Amino acid sequence: MQFLIATILYAEEGESSSNVSLVLPETAELIAGIIAFAIVFFFVWKWALPTLNKTLETRQQAVSGELAGAEKAKVEAESLLSDYNAQLADAKSEGNRILEDARVTAEQMKTDLLAKAESEADNIRSKARDDASAEKSRALSDARTQVGDISVELAGKIVGEELDADAHQDLIDRYLADLETL
Amino acid sequence: MQDRITGYANGIFELAKAEEELERVENELFTIAQALDDSPELRSTLTDPQLPMEKKQALIDDLIGGRASSLSVDLVQLIVSQGRSSELSDIARALVKAAAASRDKAVAEVRSAVPLDEQTIERLAAALGRATGKSVEVKVVVDESVIGGIVARVGDTVIDGSLARRVDSLRQAVES
Repeated sequence: MQFLIATILYAEEGESSSNVSLVLPETAELIAGIIAFAIVFFFVWKWALPTLNKTLETRQQAVSGELAGAEKAKVEAESLLSDYNAQLADAKSEGNRILEDARVTAEQMKTDLLAKAESEADNIRSKARDDASAEKSRALSDARTQVGDISVELAGKIVGEELDADAHQDLIDRYLADLETL
Repeated sequence: MQDRITGYANGIFELAKAEEELERVENELFTIAQALDDSPELRSTLTDPQLPMEKKQALIDDLIGGRASSLSVDLVQLIVSQGRSSELSDIARALVKAAAASRDKAVAEVRSAVPLDEQTIERLAAALGRATGKSVEVKVVVDESVIGGIVARVGDTVIDGSLARRVDSLRQAVES
C-alpha cells in the first residue's frame, strides 16, 4: 500500500513538474503503475478476497440458518395451531356428545317415569276394581245370608204353624217307618 | 269337672235307689234339666253369683216345690246351694245314664215338637234299640225348635228326622 501511495505521489510530482501532458502519464509512470496495480491486485485476490468470501459465506449460512429456524418455528406454530384446532374440534364434539348423552338420558328418564306412572295408575285402577268387586261380592253374600236367614226363619214358622196334630203324627210315623227299615 | 258330675250323679243315684224313688227322681231331674236348658233366663238367674243363695232356693221352691217329690227338690237345692247350678243339667243327664245303665240300658233322648203317646214311645224304643244295637230307654223332650218330626240321640249317635234339619239344609242351600 505504501508503495502504491508512493507511486501516486511520484506521479503527481511528475505532473507538476511537466505540464505537457496532464491526462496521459508518462510511460515509465504507467509501467510502474501497472506493476503496482498488479501487485495490489495479487494481494487482494490472494488474501482479501477469500477472507471476504468466507465472511460472506458464514453470514449467508447464518442467515439461511435463521431462515430455517424461522421456517421450523412456523411449522411448529402451524402444527400447534392444527393441534389446537383439533383439540378444539374434539372438545366441541365431546361437548356435543355430552349434550346428546344428557338428552338421551333425559328422554330415557322421561319414558321410564311415564311408564312407571302408567303402571302405578294401572295397579291402583286394578286394585280399586278388585276392592270394588270384593266389596260387591261380600255385600251380595251378606245380603244372600240375610235373605236366606229371614226366608228360612219365615218358612220354619209358617211350616210350624201349618202343622196340625195329624201332620205331626204323620211326620213321626214316617220317622218311625224309616227307622224301622234301617 | 267330669269327675264331679259323675260323683254327684252316682251319689244321687244311690240315694234315690235307697229311698226307692229312683225312677221318679230320675224323671223329675231330667225334666228340671230340660227346663233349665230351654230357659237361658232361669239358667243365668240360678248361676248369678250376685244373687243371694236364699233367693235362689226360694225360686226353686216356687218352681218345683209342690210338683216334684221332696227328695228331688232337696237334691236340686243341694246342687244349687253347693254353687253347681251350671252343672245341674249335666248331672241330671249323668244320673239318667247311670240309672239306665243299672238296668242294662242306654238312654235315647228324643226331641219332638209335640208330646208323644205311649205307643209311639214304645215303637221308638224298639226301633232305636234295633238301629243302635242297644237296649234303650226313651226320654222325651218336647222342643218346639224341632218344628216337626223327631231327633233322637243315643250316646254320640244322632238320628235326625226333624223339619228343623230340612229347614236348615234349605238355609245352607240358599246361603251357598
